[in-house]
Amino acid sequence: MQMPKGSAMFRWSAVVLLFITGLLDVYYGNFYAGFYENLWYAMGTIYIFTAAVIAANFEPRFAQPAVFGYAIFLFVLWATTAFATGVGLDTIAYLDKAIEALLVVNMALLIRSSRSPSLLR
Amino acid sequence: MCKAPISANSTTSSNYAKKENLHKALRIEKLERTIVTQPTRQWSAEKLLLVVSVVAIVAGAAVGTSVGYAVHYSAPTTRAFYLFNSSLPFDEHTWGIPHDTFAPDRITVNKGDKVVIYYRNIEDTTEPHTFSMDTPYTFDAVVHAGQNETFPVATSVKGASDVVVQVNQTATITFTAHWAGVFRYYCAYHQPTMTGYLAVLG
Repeated sequence: MQMPKGSAMFRWSAVVLLFITGLLDVYYGNFYAGFYENLWYAMGTIYIFTAAVIAANFEPRFAQPAVFGYAIFLFVLWATTAFATGVGLDTIAYLDKAIEALLVVNMALLIRSSRSPSLLR
Repeated sequence: MCKAPISANSTTSSNYAKKENLHKALRIEKLERTIVTQPTRQWSAEKLLLVVSVVAIVAGAAVGTSVGYAVHYSAPTTRAFYLFNSSLPFDEHTWGIPHDTFAPDRITVNKGDKVVIYYRNIEDTTEPHTFSMDTPYTFDAVVHAGQNETFPVATSVKGASDVVVQVNQTATITFTAHWAGVFRYYCAYHQPTMTGYLAVLG
């Protein structure tokens, strides 16, 4: 199926954002040793995997909403944990979450453009 | 031979059949168009985004609260310590090691705490000391040319692992305890005795 230009642009920007967020998460997990930070390590690995899935355009109807939900889930998880414990409030985490917020918006636009009715006519 | 007259009745039924066929064809075409444009019943993008967002937010908040409860971190805070050089009453030339020590020689903080150390060189001789830390820790330090922080700044360093403090000077050393574990702080001039340990719980 041929994708419209806008959709392809959102897809590749999502891949870049996913990859950057994944690297930042892995860096955070490696940089700060500890149980909680090791969760970041796992989250980063999943992000890099999803970057590959979105890049390959594998099952986009399922993968795109899943990545969108995953990004929101992690953002809310971070915010709640930071509020409850006071950890994860530093420059790297802020940068990571700012990119993650951009990623959420990007994924929403990608899903909208991928599901546009014009594709089906 | 004359043709049999076509009755009004047969004309009407033929027209009716034609109309029926036309309607059937139109219905099929409409159905086919529906099949082509809507291959499966699916949510609109907006509805999908809304549902996924709500589920993700609820799940994230639930897991985040649980992690916060399970991990039981105490919120990081700023912890201030006053650090001095000290000396033990023995002749260092006789014993072959410096008599200088740190007081205190143990600092304990929680991971994530901001640590502020007010380090004063209270020597009665003109002997400088350093405050040095092992990797991965580095610190920012401001050295004041006097016995407290109201005196003018003599030197300042950022991201350093070593700062020299002269007699009657005060250094304000700050860093964040990012790494859990036990880490050495020491005077580079008076080893091995002038050594302390930073214990970071986490």
